[in-house]
Amino acid sequence: MSKSKKMTLSKKQNLTGWVFLAPGAVLIFIMSFVPMFRALMLSFKTGIGANMKWTGVTNYVRMFQDTVFVQSIKNTFFYLIIQVPVMLIFALILASILNNKDLRFKGLFRTMIFLPCATSLVAYAIIFRSLFANNGLINLLFVKLGILDQPYAFLTNTTSARIVIIIALLWRWTGYNMVFYLSGLQNIEYSVYEAAKIDGASAVQSFFKITIPLLKPTILLTAIMSTNGTLQLFDESVNLTSGGPANTSITMSHYIYDMSFKYVPNFGYAAAMSFLILVLVAVLAFLQMKVGDKRD
Amino acid sequence: MKRKILAALLASTMVLSLVGCGGGSAEAPAAPAADSGAAEEAPAADSGAAEEAPAADAAADAAGGDETLTVWCWDPAFNLNAMYEAEKVYQKDHPNFKLNVVETPWDDIQTKITTAATSGDLSTLPDIFLMQDNAFQKNVLAFPDLCMDLTNSGIDYSQFAAGKTAYSVIDGKNYGVPFDNGAVVACYRTDLLEQAGLTIDDFTDITFDQYMENGKKVLEATGKPLISMQAGECDLIMMMMQSAGASLFNEDGTANIVGNDTLKTVMETYKSLKDAGVLTEVNSWDEYVGDFVSGNVAGTINGCWIMASIQTAEDQKGNWAITNMPSLAGAANATNYSNNGGSSWAVTTKCANPDLACDFLASTFAGSNELYDNILPSGALATWAPAGDSSAYGEPNEFFGGDAVSAKIVDFATKVPTNITGAYYYEARNAVAAAITNYISGADLETELQNAEQQINFNMQ
Repeated sequence: MSKSKKMTLSKKQNLTGWVFLAPGAVLIFIMSFVPMFRALMLSFKTGIGANMKWTGVTNYVRMFQDTVFVQSIKNTFFYLIIQVPVMLIFALILASILNNKDLRFKGLFRTMIFLPCATSLVAYAIIFRSLFANNGLINLLFVKLGILDQPYAFLTNTTSARIVIIIALLWRWTGYNMVFYLSGLQNIEYSVYEAAKIDGASAVQSFFKITIPLLKPTILLTAIMSTNGTLQLFDESVNLTSGGPANTSITMSHYIYDMSFKYVPNFGYAAAMSFLILVLVAVLAFLQMKVGDKRD
Repeated sequence: MKRKILAALLASTMVLSLVGCGGGSAEAPAAPAADSGAAEEAPAADSGAAEEAPAADAAADAAGGDETLTVWCWDPAFNLNAMYEAEKVYQKDHPNFKLNVVETPWDDIQTKITTAATSGDLSTLPDIFLMQDNAFQKNVLAFPDLCMDLTNSGIDYSQFAAGKTAYSVIDGKNYGVPFDNGAVVACYRTDLLEQAGLTIDDFTDITFDQYMENGKKVLEATGKPLISMQAGECDLIMMMMQSAGASLFNEDGTANIVGNDTLKTVMETYKSLKDAGVLTEVNSWDEYVGDFVSGNVAGTINGCWIMASIQTAEDQKGNWAITNMPSLAGAANATNYSNNGGSSWAVTTKCANPDLACDFLASTFAGSNELYDNILPSGALATWAPAGDSSAYGEPNEFFGGDAVSAKIVDFATKVPTNITGAYYYEARNAVAAAITNYISGADLETELQNAEQQINFNMQ
C-alpha cells in the first residue's frame, strides 16, 4: 500500500516537472524547431517568390558558383581569423588587470569597458560610419595632427573598410567577453597567486601558468560564442560599409538578406546559404571543443 | 539568419496584430457612446483610431456599406499627406468614404509583402500601398497574385508621363498609378559658379564634356567639386543611362552589359569626372546631403525630390538654381532629361472593394487638379500632365532665385526617355556599382563589365 503510494508520489513529482517544462518546450519547438525544419525543406526548393518547386541539392551546388557568396565567405573568415583572437586576448588582458585587488575605481573601469555592449548594433555602426567618414572625426584628427595630408576614404578602400569593421567589432564586444573572464577569475583562489608570488613567479608567468589554464573552460565558451557571432555578422556589414566597396566587406548574412528582401526573392537559395552557416558554426565549434578540451 | 527572418516574421505579425486591434477598437467605443452620450470622449481616448470612429459611421459599416480603404505609405510630410488630401477630395462626392492611412517605411512594406505573398495569406496587407518604381517589376514578377491589373480600371494612363508609367507596366498591363515625380534636376550654387565666372546658362542644355570643363573652372576658382556621389551606389550612372534611353537589360529581359556602348561611355565619363576631381565620392547618404547643404560642393544632380533637402539650407536662399542635367556626349539618343526614384500606387488583390479603390485613384491621383494643387506645397510634383497647366505650378520659388521650378520640372518629366527597369534591377545595379568601383581603382573596364554581366546572368538563372 505504502509502496504504491510512494510510486505515485515520484510519478507525481515527475509529472509536475514535465508540466513546468512543457510550456517552454512546446514554445521552443513551435517557434524554433518547426521553422528550422521548414527552412531545411525550403532549401531544397527553388523559384522566384511564391512559385517554388523541388530541386534537390541544386541550391547547395549553386552557392559555390556564386562569386559574391564565395567573396562573402572569404570576408567573414577574414573577420573571424583576425578579430576573434585579437578580441579574446584583449579581453583576457583587461580582465586580468581589472581583477587586481589593489586597483582603484575597479567598478568604474569595468562598467566603462562593458558599456559599449549596451549600445544598439545599428546605432554604433552608424556612429563608426560617421567617425570614419571623409569629413569625420578620425580624418579631421589625422589631418590636424599632420599624419595625413588630406582625408583618407576609409570606407571606400577594401583593406581599410575591413579594418574599420574589425575595430568596430573590437570596441563593441571586448567588454562583453571580458565580463565572462572576470567571472571566471572570481573562481580562482587568490591564494594560488600569492603562493606563486612567494615561489618567485613574475606577473607574466602567473598569467600564463595559472590564469590561462584555469580559465580554459571560459576561454572555450567565449571562443565558440564569438565564432558563432562573427559567422552571423550582419548589422556592421549593412550599416557601416553597406558591403562595399564592390562587395569586399559583405558578410554571408548580409548577402542572404539581400537575396531574400532586396533582390528578386529566392528563399530556397537563401535558406540553403543559411544552412551553410549552420554547418560552419557546428564544425568550428566541434573543432574548438576538440582542441580546447583535453579532459577526455 | 533563420532567426533574423523568424524575428522579422514575428515582429511583422505583432505589428499587424496591433494594426488589427486599432481597426477593431474603432468600432468598440461606438457602442457605449450611443447610449452614454460621451461620444467625444470615447474616440479621443483611442488616439490611433480617433479619425475613423464617429458612432454613426461605425453603424453604417455594420450595415454593410463599408467604404474604408487601408493604405500603406511612408513619408508623413509627403505621401501620407497626399493621401489625406486625396481623401478630402474624394469625400466631397462620397461622404461615407474613409481612409485608414498607416505610416510604413518602404523597407518594411517590402518585407511585409514578401512574407505575406510567400505564405499565400494576403489578409495582412492593405488595400492600396505605395511601391518604389524600381521594385515594381520585381514584385509583380515574384508575386503575380499580389497586385491587381489596373489596365481597364478606368484610369487614363495617356495623361501620365510615359517614362514614369513604364515602371509599373508589366507584359503590357498597368499595375500601378504613377504618383511622385522623379524627373532629374541639376541644382547649382549660383554664387559659387559666379566666382568661376559662370552662370546657370552655362550649365543648361550642355553635354558632360562641357560639364567637365565648367567643373574644372569651378574647382580652380573655389576649390570645390561640382558634385558628390555616394560610393557603392550608382545613382548617377543610372540617371546617365536613362538620359540616353539606355538600359541594363534588353527587351527580352536578358542582361545588356557587355557590348552596351552607352554603358561604356557612362562608365568612362564617370571615371573621368572622378579623376579630374569634379566629382567626389562619399560613403553615406548623410554625407551626400551634408556636402551640398554645407557648401562643400557646388551642386548636385538627382531626382527633383532632392530639392526638399536642398531647401533645408535656409542661409543659401536665393543662391540655388535648377536646370536640366548634362547630356551624354557621344551616346546615341542623348537627351538632357532623366528620372531617378519615385513611386506608384498599387492595389492589392486582397482588396475587398476593388471598384471603390480604382474609382478613388482614378478620380484623385489620375483626375484631380485640386489634389495636385493642394499637395504642391509639400513638394509632391505631379506626373499627371494636366496638373502642370494649373496656375499653382507657375508660381516663382524664392529659394531658387524666383524661378518657376514646379512648371519647369513637370516640363522635364514629359521629356524623360523610357527605358527598361527589369525585374532584376537591384541585382544589375549592384553588379554595375561593383564594376564602377573596381574600374575607378584601376581595373580593366571590359573585364569588369564581363564580370558584372556574369553576375547578373548568374542571379537570373
